[in-house]
Amino acid sequence: MQIELVGKPAGTAARVTLAQGETLTAEVGAMIAMSSQLQVTTASKTKGGKGGVLKGIKRMFSGESFFLNSFTATAQGQEVIVAPSLIGDIVHHQLTGGTLVVQGSSWLASGVDIDIDTTFQGLVAGMFSGEGLFWVKCSGTGDLLLNSFGAIYTIDVKDGYTVDSGHIVAFEDTLEMKVGKASKSLVGSILGGEGLVCKFTGQGKLYCQTHNPPSFGQSLGQNLKPRS
Amino acid sequence: MNVEIKHRPAFATVFVTLAPGESIIAESDAMASMSSNVGMRTRFNGGFFPAILKKLFGNESLFINEFFCESGESAQVVLTQPTPGDIEQIDLAGESLFFQPGAYVASTPGVKVSMAWAGLASWFGGEGLFRLRVHGKGSVWFGGYGGVYQRPIKGEYIVDTGHLIAYDPSLTLSIGLSGGLFSSFFGGEGFISRVKGEGKVYMQSRSMDGLASWTNGHLY
Repeated sequence: MQIELVGKPAGTAARVTLAQGETLTAEVGAMIAMSSQLQVTTASKTKGGKGGVLKGIKRMFSGESFFLNSFTATAQGQEVIVAPSLIGDIVHHQLTGGTLVVQGSSWLASGVDIDIDTTFQGLVAGMFSGEGLFWVKCSGTGDLLLNSFGAIYTIDVKDGYTVDSGHIVAFEDTLEMKVGKASKSLVGSILGGEGLVCKFTGQGKLYCQTHNPPSFGQSLGQNLKPRS
Repeated sequence: MNVEIKHRPAFATVFVTLAPGESIIAESDAMASMSSNVGMRTRFNGGFFPAILKKLFGNESLFINEFFCESGESAQVVLTQPTPGDIEQIDLAGESLFFQPGAYVASTPGVKVSMAWAGLASWFGGEGLFRLRVHGKGSVWFGGYGGVYQRPIKGEYIVDTGHLIAYDPSLTLSIGLSGGLFSSFFGGEGFISRVKGEGKVYMQSRSMDGLASWTNGHLY
């Protein structure tokens, strides 16, 4: 599988070239274009993967879709182009046996040897991290594509790191996430507009997005008409 | 302090490295992430009463945050704005600059962020009764939705109200109609800002009002 990211960073799309027999699993609706020698199957599990209906239902709680699309090349050098619906960037992460915890709607596509499951990060983290109750857990070996609102920047966490809610894309599960206050005083944290933040400890890779969907929604939403 | 604006122009974001003892002031909710040795203090935006007036009439936030390095090692803060778009840096050496609501992102401690009366006309034009004034010595970061571009003015210049984000205090601003009553309301331009004098204006290439009305037109 060869992956090329085009149109970075505002309108990034991933051009994935598959060898005969290779499969890419992608989010429903992510495909923009593809070669003709690809077989498309829609199921609630990855091709040849475990899980079924239950996994699909769990995935719906994390903000992803019940179904997944699998694109299998039936000839050499088949190409599929995938992109998220929001403007923003894509990051290509190489999983080598570890686990990456991905924020609800940031999973875009992955190879078949990556298991996609839903995980619960705890009630407090779920309710106050601003990221939703359930996260997508990707484990195994292979290529993983994640999307963001805004650009993506990588932080190698060593001595702890703080991320404002709404800015997390994904993190390695060697990191521990806790919800905390932005400043020492709770009143200050809330009044300062930063509210609660996510604090990471341990060592590992953390992907953040530069822009925050709720903040953008707030500045746009006040001018939108109510649905009639 | 080392500051770098990355991911320009679509998703401009301010990456700040603070040396021990240094600090930076930022708009409420501007912080995207920070290292664990950064402390945050929240204070009223220009004092208690000005902050309340700003909130009520200027569409500005009630509070601003100060981020400071609280250990012996350098610290990192990442600051951003709610809308995708570009961010500019301006270095002030004692002069001032006026901002329209929402443009201000961050400033160094030597820059005073205060409020100035903008007038009833500005309020009718949808820009708020007050405007933000930055003055002093240091750097200021501000941004817009879309691209941010600058134009030196000598004489008179007209900018659509939703697109003006900053201007020199040497310029006077009046809100008017873009043409006659008919063309102003049916031509889609509505209110415009008439800028007079000599100085610089900063504009954004898109406006949130524009996005909202486009979105409204496509909702069903």
